[in-house]
Amino acid sequence: MLKVFKYTLIDLARNRFVLGYALLMLLVAQGLFALEGDPTKALLSLVQVVMALVPLIALVFTVVYMYDTLEFTQLLAVQPMRRSAILGGQLLALAAALLLAQAIGLGLPLLVHSPTVAALVLSLSGSALVLVFAALGALIALKQREKARGVGVALAIWFLFVLVYDALLMWGMFTLSDHPIEPFVVPLAGINPIDLARIMVMLQVDLAAMMGYSGAIYKNFFGSVGGTIVAALILALWVAVPVLFAFRVFRRKDL
Amino acid sequence: MAEARITYHGVGKRYGKLWALRKVDCAFHAGEVVMLIGPNASGKTTLVKSLLGLASPTEGHITVNGQVIGTDPAYRRSIGYMPQISQFPATLTIGQLLEMMADIRELRADEVEDSLVEELGLSAQLDKRLSTLSGGTKQKVSAVLALRSRPGILVMDEPTAGLDPVSSQRVLQRAAAVRDAGGTVLITSHLMEEVESLADRVAYLEDGNLKFLLPVQEILSSTGSTRLSEALPRMLESNALSHVL
Repeated sequence: MLKVFKYTLIDLARNRFVLGYALLMLLVAQGLFALEGDPTKALLSLVQVVMALVPLIALVFTVVYMYDTLEFTQLLAVQPMRRSAILGGQLLALAAALLLAQAIGLGLPLLVHSPTVAALVLSLSGSALVLVFAALGALIALKQREKARGVGVALAIWFLFVLVYDALLMWGMFTLSDHPIEPFVVPLAGINPIDLARIMVMLQVDLAAMMGYSGAIYKNFFGSVGGTIVAALILALWVAVPVLFAFRVFRRKDL
Repeated sequence: MAEARITYHGVGKRYGKLWALRKVDCAFHAGEVVMLIGPNASGKTTLVKSLLGLASPTEGHITVNGQVIGTDPAYRRSIGYMPQISQFPATLTIGQLLEMMADIRELRADEVEDSLVEELGLSAQLDKRLSTLSGGTKQKVSAVLALRSRPGILVMDEPTAGLDPVSSQRVLQRAAAVRDAGGTVLITSHLMEEVESLADRVAYLEDGNLKFLLPVQEILSSTGSTRLSEALPRMLESNALSHVL
């Protein structure tokens, strides 16, 4: 697995898309810190960008990379090595490349302009989203035979998590505002990894109060050490479940 | 080199409702070149993929050197594979790719056969990125990868497609050398003229069925032809198969 990881990472280190991602994040982060006078405001704007852009890029890049390297994956699969080693190496390298690009594009500006706990949580949440959506991307690429279809499914999933889910949640909360729905708010936030990551950052900049009673519940739960551990476990599950399914699919897949 | 022998025992492969391969029973021996032919979608690729572990049979099993191939990938150590489409990591160089594959196969320096790199004119291009190579050069790299571990079993899918005549000849000479050293070579090709001088037996597939697996001499004598490229169409058209099936 380490051999596949090593050479895939060498390949990805010079990949234009990965370099472009690092540059884009760097420009966006630097631009926001330059435009906004207040680092906290810049951080809040950056949260919105990270929560939309990171899942999209991690998802689509993973799907496209896996389709584009299919013939090479076939060549690896006829070598005397287990398929789990091939997929494990490729996934680790993809995650490492995206995380490295993000560390340069997002981590560096945060370190320079806003070396706070909130910035650290944003960095960690962004990294968690990279892992979650790279894992989902791998599963999509392995399940769908056609590249166009795979990219379409990836975009639909991103759209669902970024827009549709929140819209449905808001509609539900508005419609059921006369009912005691607060106990369901925390588990519902946990379903969507992007919302979960956003809440974790928002709690650090103390904006939960702006979210009303739900915000108070979020703060009560996720603001505690136990809540933070639960949030980390949920995000870990969002990575582990697609990865396990991806390994299962890849082991049996006809290449 | 260890003796290579491949046996298909009632191997069938189904994709959805379509049977790409139907109960194929055959054996490929050490020291022979077998040419796999048949129309498009006849099952040639599936036959090869089943051996390589890229597709798992729906029924039956395959043995390599007497061992049933399953989940243990160790048997593939004896196999060299040259695919029809050569696609490599874009930003790696030829040298890095050769190093990677040797690393994966855990080849010692004395186990690596690199003279083909020189013969195919790749020595001066080892630092070139794979994304900058022409289709033909990628095929040469693919040939080197298939042959440099001195495989006991060599599987080539349309090996001469995209190669210049000189390089084609050199690659086929190497395939013959594998056979002469006691290896088993399976070649799928539509360019019969190029590979017919190499073949010892011909396997013909149609609709997933192995219609025949015959020595070249038998095919030639049964049709009165001197060349396979003439004999096979004649054989198929005149239904001359009936006496050998």
